[in-house]
Amino acid sequence: MAARAEEIPTPNIDELFRPTHDERARQSFVSMLRKHAIIDLRAAVRRHYESEVAPALRDRGAEPTHWRDIERVMEPDPLHRLYSTLRYNAQEMCYLSVQPAIERALPEMIDLARDLATRNPAGGTLRLDPEFEVPRYLSALDVHLAPGWVTAEHTEDDVSQGAVVGFGGKVFTGQHPYRKRPGVVAESIAHWIQRTRPGFQPRRILDLGTTAGKNLLPYKSAFPQSEAHGIDCGAPVLRYGHALAEHEGIAVHFSQQNAEHTRFPDGHFDLIVSSFFLHEIPLKATRNVLRECHRLLRPGGLMVHMELPDAASVSEYDNFFWNWDTHNNNEPFYTNYREQDPLRLCAEAGFLPADAFKLTIPDAASFGEERYARFLKGELAAPPHGSGGWFIFGAERRG
Amino acid sequence: MSKAPTEVSLPRTTRGKRPVFFDDPAIDQMMTFLIELTTEVAVLRERLDTVERLLDAGVPVTREAIEAYQPQAAVDAERNAWRDAYLKRVFRMHPSANAQAGDPPQGSGV
Repeated sequence: MAARAEEIPTPNIDELFRPTHDERARQSFVSMLRKHAIIDLRAAVRRHYESEVAPALRDRGAEPTHWRDIERVMEPDPLHRLYSTLRYNAQEMCYLSVQPAIERALPEMIDLARDLATRNPAGGTLRLDPEFEVPRYLSALDVHLAPGWVTAEHTEDDVSQGAVVGFGGKVFTGQHPYRKRPGVVAESIAHWIQRTRPGFQPRRILDLGTTAGKNLLPYKSAFPQSEAHGIDCGAPVLRYGHALAEHEGIAVHFSQQNAEHTRFPDGHFDLIVSSFFLHEIPLKATRNVLRECHRLLRPGGLMVHMELPDAASVSEYDNFFWNWDTHNNNEPFYTNYREQDPLRLCAEAGFLPADAFKLTIPDAASFGEERYARFLKGELAAPPHGSGGWFIFGAERRG
Repeated sequence: MSKAPTEVSLPRTTRGKRPVFFDDPAIDQMMTFLIELTTEVAVLRERLDTVERLLDAGVPVTREAIEAYQPQAAVDAERNAWRDAYLKRVFRMHPSANAQAGDPPQGSGV
């Protein structure tokens, strides 16, 4: 019996999502709508500012020197208003366009996730905490305008928010030149680690705020001997991620834990990572998370967070652009997070200042090996964050 | 929590304060109507495109055939080019007051 069971491939929970012809058409169109706003109109707004708005202000001796001044000038601008309303509505529609197909698939998705959580055919695990207390900063509003975000549970053993965030995310990135494939951030960081630290072979890896593990799985592929863990506050996304990883045949250990204070012992990990995470939580929580990283890393261990570039690392115009999300994408901690110096945050968490780093690394999938070699030699800079590069910061733990 | 999986109706509205981008919030609401309507037209257009492609291939046009239709990569690329051009036509901006005469209107060529 056991031999026969091994021959049956593990079903893919993603394949239970079966949109109708028109639902697929809507999703494809929303991907293009989102691209039109975030790529085309973003560039047009910038050109308009640089070629018309800024020179007119300069002539009057009133050129903005702070991003908030740029924001004040640009908020009533018709082109910026078009950009904003298209971006906001497209963001909502990413999730709205996938919900009907998820509702239809939900009973089957839950059955499959339950079955895989019992059998663990790839050897991963799923550990949920029935007593888990979702922090208020996560339960009070829907981050990224995703109704229910990662924690809402609508039925027993619910996986729906895993599907909403996952498939909504695919619509979101569907036409984005650097985000079409899932896990590109983890691939890029793993590549950078391998190229800059050839002997580094982590035994245990931890991904914080992993959601469904999209940016965790590539680490297991890059470091196959490692034990890979992902934690999140949201049970539905962890259930979904576990089902996906078991289908992929990748053994990953998902558990419901708050990254501010985990249950892992001191010095348990060699590599701790996160992506798109710290700017979503209050600064106090970010400080707790970084202190927890310091506690969890063994001496010689490495911490790498992919994050938004801090305010001091980019121009005032870019600060105006990035901080848009604070009020318009339900990310209330975004601006305050970006005001911090990541190196100082690392030092406050107990890392030695000399062991901390911040830099933009190339997107591994699009940059090309020849150019990568030149990047490593310092001859070529990585493209800006989100446009072919990824901003990272972190530290090594010494002693 | 007690609902059966078959009974789940996912929330369609977001918790959190909705921003207002225009002087009159009614315009924000109108923009949502307009963007949704633009999307509906694109969906209808794609359905028509599927019907035409089935006819071209000599396949009897039934609802089932439309649902079963899977576009090849080349069709997908053609459709994406249409979506892109369509969006740029619909959301065409008036030239700004600052723009010099003869400048292309804002939003063009983006």
